[in-house]
Amino acid sequence: MKYLIFDAGPIISLTMNGLLNVIERLKEKFDGEFVITPGVKHEVIDRPMKINKYKLEALQVKQLLDKGIFRHCYEIVSAQKLDIETKRILKIANSSLRSLNSGEKINLIHEGEASCLAFANLCSCDSVIVIDERTTRLIGEAPKNLEKMMEKKLHTSLQANPESLKFFRKFRFIRSSELLFVAFKKGLIPLKKDKQTLEALLYGVKYKGTSISEQEIEEMKKMV
Amino acid sequence: MKEVDNILRILKETRKFIQEENTNELKILSDQTIHTATISQDPDNIIVAVLVYSLGKVMERSHYRDMEGWDQFYSTAIKNLDHAIINLEKNDVDSARNHLGNIRNCLNKLSGNLKEYIKDVFRKAEINKAFRLYEHGLSSKQTAELLGVSLWDLSTYIGQSSINNSNISISLPVSKRIKIAEDVFR
Repeated sequence: MKYLIFDAGPIISLTMNGLLNVIERLKEKFDGEFVITPGVKHEVIDRPMKINKYKLEALQVKQLLDKGIFRHCYEIVSAQKLDIETKRILKIANSSLRSLNSGEKINLIHEGEASCLAFANLCSCDSVIVIDERTTRLIGEAPKNLEKMMEKKLHTSLQANPESLKFFRKFRFIRSSELLFVAFKKGLIPLKKDKQTLEALLYGVKYKGTSISEQEIEEMKKMV
Repeated sequence: MKEVDNILRILKETRKFIQEENTNELKILSDQTIHTATISQDPDNIIVAVLVYSLGKVMERSHYRDMEGWDQFYSTAIKNLDHAIINLEKNDVDSARNHLGNIRNCLNKLSGNLKEYIKDVFRKAEINKAFRLYEHGLSSKQTAELLGVSLWDLSTYIGQSSINNSNISISLPVSKRIKIAEDVFR
């Protein structure tokens, strides 16, 4: 079984751009399940449901869960197992960097992101995590960049724990920008299939939270 | 409360810059607090960062001083800053925390438009500080939780971050990430 594990960010950026229907169309083409964890559900449904400004968006996401487009991860792994694994991953991630001055460990990621990694680790299947924010991807794909970036911003030296960081190398990540790229190429976007549309889609998600550079957008435009 | 000496220094300087109406220095002070807050993730440091930034913004808007309730807000802010400083000097962290909280809580007692305007300044300061923590390398959810702001509010700010355009944020070549996406949909 294949799983696409959604973090909250991509669901938020797609919803805010009016592109939730693209998830539905992509699901029809996907030979597997779209999964969300309880932490992500809290961020994209339960919490915004209590905020008038975002209640409409929360209802739209909830509809996708009700229709089975998204599946709750508890249908696949038990709550207890996920909870234990999430805590374990949080501990590893948040001991990856430490301040050389104070010796304090830096808490880099939150339960929501950790639960996506935990599910991917537990389901032992062909899984990809859809995550827009940069920190989790940097831990897995380029931890040296994260260390450099934080040292520069914090004006302090940091010490990385290579053993902790090694654990995150196995995860595979895409962003909402890659999801939209695939949807665009498969003709699932109800707009004219040209570079202008792709550019608009990518900038749309960029300005709603996807960590993607202008250079990356240009490269993606050249790939169609 | 972590880094008490640093918070004490920040509060003393805040008090001084408020009286001097030096809004630029207030912003610099707030930024210094964020460096510490990124590492410690101590709620008190974050509260101070939001408070100092908000006071800087409020002082910057000189027309607020002509509005109903200004004198009450200003005297409450100064009085409670003084008390917080005295308490911290005695290592009485709980009392200091209460006095810092009083500055924001006093807004509920104000009448007129000023109350809403300053509340809005504080709310936007929380998002601004959350954005700064994100720029310092924390994840968006981690920052949202530390500041008690919604991820939905934060997402628009994150999109404007220039750090996303820097090469250091690119962790995998575009072609490789596209390949992962295309393979999973094959």
